[in-house]
Amino acid sequence: MSGDEHHHGLPEDEVSTYSRTAIAVSAVLSLVVTALLAWVAAGFDVFHEDLFRVAPTVEGGGIGADWVTGNTMPALDFLIALTHAADVIMGVFILFLVFLHWASFRRLAARMRQPGETESASGVATDGGVEATDSIATDGDPEHSPGGDPE
Amino acid sequence: MTNLDHGKFTRMTTIFHSLLALDVFALFFTGYAIMFNDELWWLLVLMGGNVGVVSLHRLAGLGLIALITFWLFVTVLTDTGRSNVSEAIPGPDDVAAFVQDVQFMLGRADERHPNARQFAGYEADEVPLLSYVGKGVVFIFAIELTLLIASGLLIWSKTGLMELFATKSAAMAFVVFHGLLGVIMLMGVMFHIFEHGFHPAFYPLETKAFIPRRLIPEHHDDDTDEDDEAEGTGIEKLTLSPSWNWVANLMGVLTVVGIVSVLVGSIFDEGYPVPRELALGGGPTNLLLTIGINVGILVLFVGLVLSLYGNVLRRRWQRQLETEREPATATDGGQLGPGED
Repeated sequence: MSGDEHHHGLPEDEVSTYSRTAIAVSAVLSLVVTALLAWVAAGFDVFHEDLFRVAPTVEGGGIGADWVTGNTMPALDFLIALTHAADVIMGVFILFLVFLHWASFRRLAARMRQPGETESASGVATDGGVEATDSIATDGDPEHSPGGDPE
Repeated sequence: MTNLDHGKFTRMTTIFHSLLALDVFALFFTGYAIMFNDELWWLLVLMGGNVGVVSLHRLAGLGLIALITFWLFVTVLTDTGRSNVSEAIPGPDDVAAFVQDVQFMLGRADERHPNARQFAGYEADEVPLLSYVGKGVVFIFAIELTLLIASGLLIWSKTGLMELFATKSAAMAFVVFHGLLGVIMLMGVMFHIFEHGFHPAFYPLETKAFIPRRLIPEHHDDDTDEDDEAEGTGIEKLTLSPSWNWVANLMGVLTVVGIVSVLVGSIFDEGYPVPRELALGGGPTNLLLTIGINVGILVLFVGLVLSLYGNVLRRRWQRQLETEREPATATDGGQLGPGED
């Protein structure tokens, strides 16, 4: 298969490689085949396992109804309600923090050199930000870099 | 300047952090396999089924108690520990940092507050030991872990629990209380993974918690321009990783879905009082909720992988430093002895 995408001048370009399309198609096909086989093996049923449930009601005095009637401690009910409330309040706050950081990260990322912006950069950005040897910080105000927040 | 120049943790803290992470992940994977057994039936099976999962959870719980006890002793017995307590107490600066972070998000501030900054270079070098989020994490962990250990031990010691509360449903209430308490930590850890894995300057991992400060050079490049030193964090000198954009967005979505799902799941799957539905784990299995809670577990798994990756990075970094220092005579002590931190 001939790789017609990018030539980096690496030795790999000179030997025969797999094209990206072939890799992607093969990966998708393998997943489809695996899923089909699993479906066949499961007896053409989607679900792996059904949970066995008994569902008599408390009112009907079903199995375990004594668990409800046995609880004579309102303090425990209150404790659980309180924990539910704490979960919801903290959950909403944590979600807010996620969005806060997500947005901040996007602003910060816009200030950084965009990938491919400097071909003279010495490092390959494998592990995140890599400092380039030369400085393009003089090119302009970093606040107004492409995609930057118009502040 | 390197992107590692904000080393704050000692060697002991980095190792403690990794062990704590492993242990807490083990507790999450076993504990929520029980609480969300409808949605995480595969995890329940993977963790040893009904019997095995409980044993593993107790084992990991003992590990947690050992770790916390160790931390308490180290904090009380050492000067570093005692002085760090004062540095972990939130102050007005931290409130200001939160407010400024909101303003930064909305575009009304140019920089993050020093108490919020994860990335510190140049003039922003002087950042506190913990950001306002870090302080919040410490406090919530302290409260949560105390309550979780107390309720966990009570559940374990059935006779002790029965002496206190004489009914089955009271015992069950404690199990539910224990599980619901952990949900806050579960959501918080998902956020923590996003916060420290997907900062554009550190992606895919902020090494602060993995590379000890002793291994971080104290000085910066002297040949940088004077005006560069003058302002900002120097983040604009770094190149964004090509994959950051889509990976950070994907992880952001997964984190939000995970948090929302376990929150919703905790309300429906409270399992108390048990016979409300007579199905342990709560209401009917909902496909969306199942997917969402599994997404949450996936986020945790990403965190586990990143934690291991951080330790790989520390080894690499250490090796590189050793190689660089080899020609020189080891005047500054190339070998880190135990207790040196």
